[in-house]
Amino acid sequence: MEFKELPPVKEQLMKCVRCGKCRSVCPVFAEVKNETAAPRGHVFMVQMLRDGKVEPDKKVLERLNMCLMCESCTINCPSGIDIHELNAAARSYIYEKNPNTVKELLFGTLWTHPSLLRTSMWFMAGVQKLGLQDLARTLGLTKILPGDLPKAEKILSAIPFRCARRLIPEINQAKGEKKYKVGYFLGCGTDLFNPQVAVATVEVLTRNGCEVIIPPDMKCCGLPHIANAKMDTARELADHNVKLFNSYDFDYIVTDCASCSSALTPKNMMFLLGGSEIEAEALTFANKVIDLTKFLVDVLDIKPSEKGKVKSTKVTYHDPCHLANAQEIKEQPRELLKRIPGVEYVEMQEANRCCGGSGTYSVTHYDISMKILDIKIKSAMETGADKIATCCPSCMMQLRHGVARYNWNCEIVHPVELLNQ
Amino acid sequence: MDSTAIKKELIKILGKDKILTEELDLMYYSYDSSFLTKLEPVNPTAVVMPRSTEEVQEVVRFAFENDINIVPRGAGTGETGGCIAVNGGIVVDLSTWDDIVEIVVPDMQVIVRPGVIHSDLNDQLAQYNLFFPPDPGSSKMCTIGGMVANNASGLRAVKYWATEPYILGLEVVMPNGEVIMTGGMKARAIKNVSGINLTKLMVGSEGTLGIITQIRLRCFPKPKARGIGMAVFDKLDDAPATVLDVYQNGILPSGIEILDNSAIKAVNDFKPHINLPDAEAILLFEVDGTPPGVNYEGSIIKEVAEKRARSFEWSTDEKRMTELWEGRSVTATAAARVRADGSRIFAGEDISVPLSRVADTLRAIRSLGEKYGIKVVNYGHIGDGNVHTAPVINPENPDEVEKVLQLVDEIHLLAIEMGGSTTGEHGVGAVRRRYAEAEHGNAVDYMKKIKAAFDPKGIMNPGKVF
Repeated sequence: MEFKELPPVKEQLMKCVRCGKCRSVCPVFAEVKNETAAPRGHVFMVQMLRDGKVEPDKKVLERLNMCLMCESCTINCPSGIDIHELNAAARSYIYEKNPNTVKELLFGTLWTHPSLLRTSMWFMAGVQKLGLQDLARTLGLTKILPGDLPKAEKILSAIPFRCARRLIPEINQAKGEKKYKVGYFLGCGTDLFNPQVAVATVEVLTRNGCEVIIPPDMKCCGLPHIANAKMDTARELADHNVKLFNSYDFDYIVTDCASCSSALTPKNMMFLLGGSEIEAEALTFANKVIDLTKFLVDVLDIKPSEKGKVKSTKVTYHDPCHLANAQEIKEQPRELLKRIPGVEYVEMQEANRCCGGSGTYSVTHYDISMKILDIKIKSAMETGADKIATCCPSCMMQLRHGVARYNWNCEIVHPVELLNQ
Repeated sequence: MDSTAIKKELIKILGKDKILTEELDLMYYSYDSSFLTKLEPVNPTAVVMPRSTEEVQEVVRFAFENDINIVPRGAGTGETGGCIAVNGGIVVDLSTWDDIVEIVVPDMQVIVRPGVIHSDLNDQLAQYNLFFPPDPGSSKMCTIGGMVANNASGLRAVKYWATEPYILGLEVVMPNGEVIMTGGMKARAIKNVSGINLTKLMVGSEGTLGIITQIRLRCFPKPKARGIGMAVFDKLDDAPATVLDVYQNGILPSGIEILDNSAIKAVNDFKPHINLPDAEAILLFEVDGTPPGVNYEGSIIKEVAEKRARSFEWSTDEKRMTELWEGRSVTATAAARVRADGSRIFAGEDISVPLSRVADTLRAIRSLGEKYGIKVVNYGHIGDGNVHTAPVINPENPDEVEKVLQLVDEIHLLAIEMGGSTTGEHGVGAVRRRYAEAEHGNAVDYMKKIKAAFDPKGIMNPGKVF
């Protein structure tokens, strides 16, 4: 489809009145402080692209890439424009005309083949365990990495040797009376970096009457590909996952990853697959997808027993943008934490302000990302919490990096980990 | 001096971090919220982002010495092209200079730099039970500097009026680079009639007389209570008649807003859950003050409104007040929903007419819309006669663009004919300067003389106001 015929470009672009409300809620604009980083500026640039006033080149892409896709602008837009979708569509359009070998390798090959991705991470874990990453830093070798990587490689700390897939079987029977047959959409971030979250998810679900199945052939949700201008790959991944999960007869498809659930919403499925042959199938799939905390509170209504009381701990919660903004899920994670015996819940200021992680953003835009992170960590520190809970592996990685930057002894956890202690 | 040389010199003055020079980056400063800049965006020669009076001075001195135009800019939320370098020049983006210098609680005033966002300021003042009363619809994004430059007002102008009465003093970088303090060099007083009032002259001058770099604002005690009343009318004329009755019964609400039938339909299309009653007009009254005072005023408004209104609801409950006000809060953008391929445009959007002519004006606008075959949504601050008209067109259809330009031309002239003004609170900028003589006659000559006295080289925001 031609760029100007894409639904967001054709239908939404003209609704922008350039009121600037998006400027005031954008975490990137708050740091960069000029219009080239404002969501309104991005919408304007998409219009310039559509009208042929600018070339679809790397310079334009660089500016559009300043957006970290937190969707704050979208939920605050008085005209109801999906600003992040416009941006994603434009990035993809430009990228198609300026493909990049590294990106093709990373997002087109590595990130579409889960076994390859797992092997790479296993290799990286080995590098870290042998101290080679530290050695490379000491010798200054990391400085030869491209872009922001010399600084950003520090975010990738302590990759586990064994991913969740190697720890959890494909089929996990319900303990006690079976209530639901649940497909577990095990996202890459949880699988590779937070296998303990996956273990806790499966344990809590099975303990509460769910049969949990992890389809062995599932692939990435496609969100990193949307953010990195690989829209065609995102469509292929969505197509694959829709067909795969629909081949089971799941009551629900649960994920503990905010980014995955946001990528699998009916709205996003329509963004990717609307008008395609499998539009109806995609909606059937998407309507079964549910965030883990929402499932535990709204569907299972779990009541953790005093037996499993965690050691008294003060916990604050950080809203992942892809949960709070993209899906308006704010209450359930808090409710879940408050229900856990031993947890003293404390709210931080601006809990729904982005942490600056946003998947690969902290790697591609390290300096901006750190400025945004600093604000978040300061808010969290003011609570005096022992733990920051959040529901997104990218946020978890970013927050871990943040507490390390401040030498703050604070643990970053998913609420389900506390539930499973 | 060519643009390359200008950029080089500006980098020498400010350093690379406070200037944009790439053509692609300059495009982001070619627009504001006006329809004019949707049709004709204009790139500046450079954009600078100074963070001190001295830096502004240096930029202005350089521009003065080299006859280069200077265009001050806030958050770019204006609807008149006022912050656009329509004749070329350097855009001075002041929106990053957002320090609240001092909240002087004992003197009931606050000193700010121009880039402070209106709602941020009121959030800070609230800690001291103070507030800055003018309440523009763009509160969350507009800057105080922009409000001063345009003498902005908003929803509470009925009781609290516009920005101007609250400005006690200004620091201004004049077009030759000199810095002046208006309202007294060391003053912290509220009352002051000493000298020719340069503060009043600067407020609303839209960046044509100098660059405002610091603002001393008067604050009011923050009211402890508020209430909202909604009156629904079957006849349009009953709405302004009720407003007059409320005044004549000794009540001055903080705001009185109107949504006519077109706006009611637009809101219900955009957000069906709001479900406004189908009517010829809805009036929203906001009252603030002490709890007993608010209840008393609410009871009087109810008694008066019920003489003509089909229904009236009064509430002091926060949740219900938000619900009652929600329709009004989304009207500006809901307008675009009256047609699927439509875009609400900001042109002819801010006329002001005598209270006694509001109903006639709304009817006349409706007729003009029919004449040009363009849907027009009407709403606004009926309490002070400030009508916001929202034409909705497909901006990609040249025929519709041509027709809407004729339509807004007639709307502006209609306002003058009705004994009103082409703009109540948004300003003149580049889009309404053509009506200056029709509205002001030979007074424009004296405006030009004042401008020439301040800015003999004509470098300050040329192509605006007149």
